[in-house]
Amino acid sequence: MTEFENLKSHWAKQKQTDTPENGSQTIVRKTTSIKRKQVLTNLILISTLAVLILFFFYVSAYNSSRATLGLGIMISVLAIRIVLEIFSIRQLNRLKFDLETAMFKQKISNYYKRRIRTHYIFTPIIIAAYSFGFILLLPLFKESLSSGFYLYIKISAIFVLIGLVTLIGVQVKKELSALKGIKN
Amino acid sequence: MPTQKEFDIIYKTNYPKVVRLCMGYFEGDEALASDVAQDVFIKVWGNLANFRNESSMSTWIYRITVNTCLSSLRKKRKTPVSVKKHLGHLESETDDLSSEKERRLNALYGCINKLNNDNKSLLLLELEGLPQKEIASITGLSHAAVRTRLHRIKDQLTKCVTL
Repeated sequence: MTEFENLKSHWAKQKQTDTPENGSQTIVRKTTSIKRKQVLTNLILISTLAVLILFFFYVSAYNSSRATLGLGIMISVLAIRIVLEIFSIRQLNRLKFDLETAMFKQKISNYYKRRIRTHYIFTPIIIAAYSFGFILLLPLFKESLSSGFYLYIKISAIFVLIGLVTLIGVQVKKELSALKGIKN
Repeated sequence: MPTQKEFDIIYKTNYPKVVRLCMGYFEGDEALASDVAQDVFIKVWGNLANFRNESSMSTWIYRITVNTCLSSLRKKRKTPVSVKKHLGHLESETDDLSSEKERRLNALYGCINKLNNDNKSLLLLELEGLPQKEIASITGLSHAAVRTRLHRIKDQLTKCVTL
């Protein structure tokens, strides 16, 4: 027996993991729950957009050109971001895991490259445009809100922006490490 | 449309093989390998209706396993290495023979972990006893390339484990 055959025999004789008794039923239940979650995610994203559009009409933003421009920019860039996200989730779901590994690696690398490109190019543009839209609305907030609430809106916006940038940064880091892991 | 009963048979037949293959990608971390194996079977169940007998069921499942493990490599270890080594040490006090086996197996996992992803996949499929033609069909490499690369990897592995 060669040394490698010896190792192969060690490999084959290692302690076998017990098969969970109702494992296949758990898998079927999990698959259903994953599908439900995906539908829920899409619903949340779409209803966020719907709420913003409703808000636009609720506050009669169309009566002021500044409000129309500010809210219009914010809603549009958010809509673009949501469409990009739904598109990306669909791409990931369509990824075939039963391809030959060489082909699979190429496809998943392309997916992560597209994600990273989105994070580096589109996301900063979207954040900048969203902030610009918000800044356009500030004089209107100042006119119609109490000074305390106006201050609160300004400060909370800064925190939201910092939170958002941090969150995106973490996501970029994760996806870069995934890409690195696959390419290794 | 496959039934749940058919899936149950596929699951029970392949689960131990899938976990063992996954353990090779995660340095013997059984908890993490079991998690990834669950992802593998979610994909198997989700795509079972699309399975055409172009390859054997086993080849198809191995392909999904290799690809799922590769895309899960960034997942964090569930069993800290120190705990595993400690348990190995306790076993060694009670049974010298099993401790030697444990030591060799740990060394094997350590050496597999030093390989790059492509070589890791080739070697793990070879350790599973798959014919080289089937390994070629899983990885998408030519039969000749699999043979040449495996020859080199086996040498590399043997030297690493005996060091």
